[in-house]
Amino acid sequence: MEGKIIVVTSGKGGVGKTTATASIGAALALEGNRVAVIDMDIGLRNLDVVLGLENRIVFNIVDVVNKRCNLSQALIRDRRIENLFLVPASQSDNKDVLTPLGVQRVAKQLKSEFDYVIMDSPAGIEKGFENSVVAADEAIVICTPDVSSIRDADRVIGLLYARSITPRLVVNRIIPEMVARGDMLSHEDVMDVLSIDLLGLVPMDDQVVVSTNTGMPLVMQNQSLAGQAFRRIAKRINGEPEIPIQVPTAMKTGFWSKITQKLGLTK
Amino acid sequence: MEKSLVTNEISAVKLRGVGDGFKLTLDPTMPEEVILKEITALFEPLKHLSVNTKVVLDIGNVQGYDNLIRDIKFLLKSRFDVGGVIQHSEKISGVGKDSGSTINHRSNSNKDNSRGWVTDRSDALILTGRVRSGQKIETQSHLIIAGNVNPGAELTAGGNIIVLGALLGQVYAGYPDDEYAFVMALDFRPTQVQIGGVVSIEINSEFVGKPVFATVKDNKIITEDYIKTQPFGKIQWPTVM
Repeated sequence: MEGKIIVVTSGKGGVGKTTATASIGAALALEGNRVAVIDMDIGLRNLDVVLGLENRIVFNIVDVVNKRCNLSQALIRDRRIENLFLVPASQSDNKDVLTPLGVQRVAKQLKSEFDYVIMDSPAGIEKGFENSVVAADEAIVICTPDVSSIRDADRVIGLLYARSITPRLVVNRIIPEMVARGDMLSHEDVMDVLSIDLLGLVPMDDQVVVSTNTGMPLVMQNQSLAGQAFRRIAKRINGEPEIPIQVPTAMKTGFWSKITQKLGLTK
Repeated sequence: MEKSLVTNEISAVKLRGVGDGFKLTLDPTMPEEVILKEITALFEPLKHLSVNTKVVLDIGNVQGYDNLIRDIKFLLKSRFDVGGVIQHSEKISGVGKDSGSTINHRSNSNKDNSRGWVTDRSDALILTGRVRSGQKIETQSHLIIAGNVNPGAELTAGGNIIVLGALLGQVYAGYPDDEYAFVMALDFRPTQVQIGGVVSIEINSEFVGKPVFATVKDNKIITEDYIKTQPFGKIQWPTVM
């Protein structure tokens, strides 16, 4: 059976595309799928660092598309998670070296070998974005609950619809305490503007920084709330759409709530 | 059978369009039954055009036939809703320009204002769905969006803009210089409004959650609560925009 190509995109930079790609890719692989994560951010590669595979790069996606190597030579196998592979980006080229036709050819090959191919799109809506979405079957739009991110996500959603790709939304970096105080847009506010299917809500989590720096996939850290959210997102992608979407709630940090938590009286 | 009738017989009635009405030329010596039948056959396919139009009846330079004329008038008015039927006479047509003005004057007095919309045309682009950031909609006619307009979206219309939803984008009504155009939205929070040559930024949202109506007054864009102001309440007839 042919696999699916899912592009992770946002329009705006720094909202968590790469973290989401790495986490969803790793989580899908943990579910037993053969997964390839592709870094399409040519010139500014990051996905290898987030996955802790930066020391093992020999060939990259530009080499594969431009036929300087085989696909199998560029695929880097993750040692911790079985069935997770990375095709890194080139750090020395710019985004113009790829052509949509070349990407499509490689995408077809990837599709025949993997269950899921997750493409990490660069920020922006120029050529890099075009190359990332050209072969995509599905799209995940990442957005943070702020106005600028929503505006860019909205633009990207319009562009995806124009290519007949129906995107799904992940709202990232929700700080429930701020939402409760009314200082941050809630996911309902975001949905009001974007009105597309919601795939998941991811809370702000300090573990993301630790995970990015150590190259340890977020979804392998059981105590990470963001990691758990990404595992649920992966399950929804992987044929379990009925898993309920959990809205991040504010943690109680008072003295009594800590005691009652310890005693198991509250969660 | 129908075909042979048309081709073999000389038709008793001829119809042609004149200005904004019709001219019906007929031979009154033919049997009335045939004439009425032929008029019906001619007007039937033009039903949608005949409402409120004027019809000039030309029976040639003959006298009499008042009954026939009365019956034709009755038929045209009752069945095809024409605005008025007047008889063309050599005398009147001989006067030249005056005849035209006479006809116009009389037909206008016969025009049913309450049904003016049946014949007057209005162009509007009606769209449903969400207009997203970066999307531009441009039309020379009026624009109606049944849906929301997101921040960063742009609407430009030669006429009025009506948004049946939240308007958060940028709108330009009456492009390029029609300052009589208006913008209306159920939830009015645009980033910029331009009507004709007047631009308004920093629209204050004093009518949150209410339908708002924006027009140009004294070279400024004024927003009003649509339900409270009822800007169209004073217009007596359904009138085409």
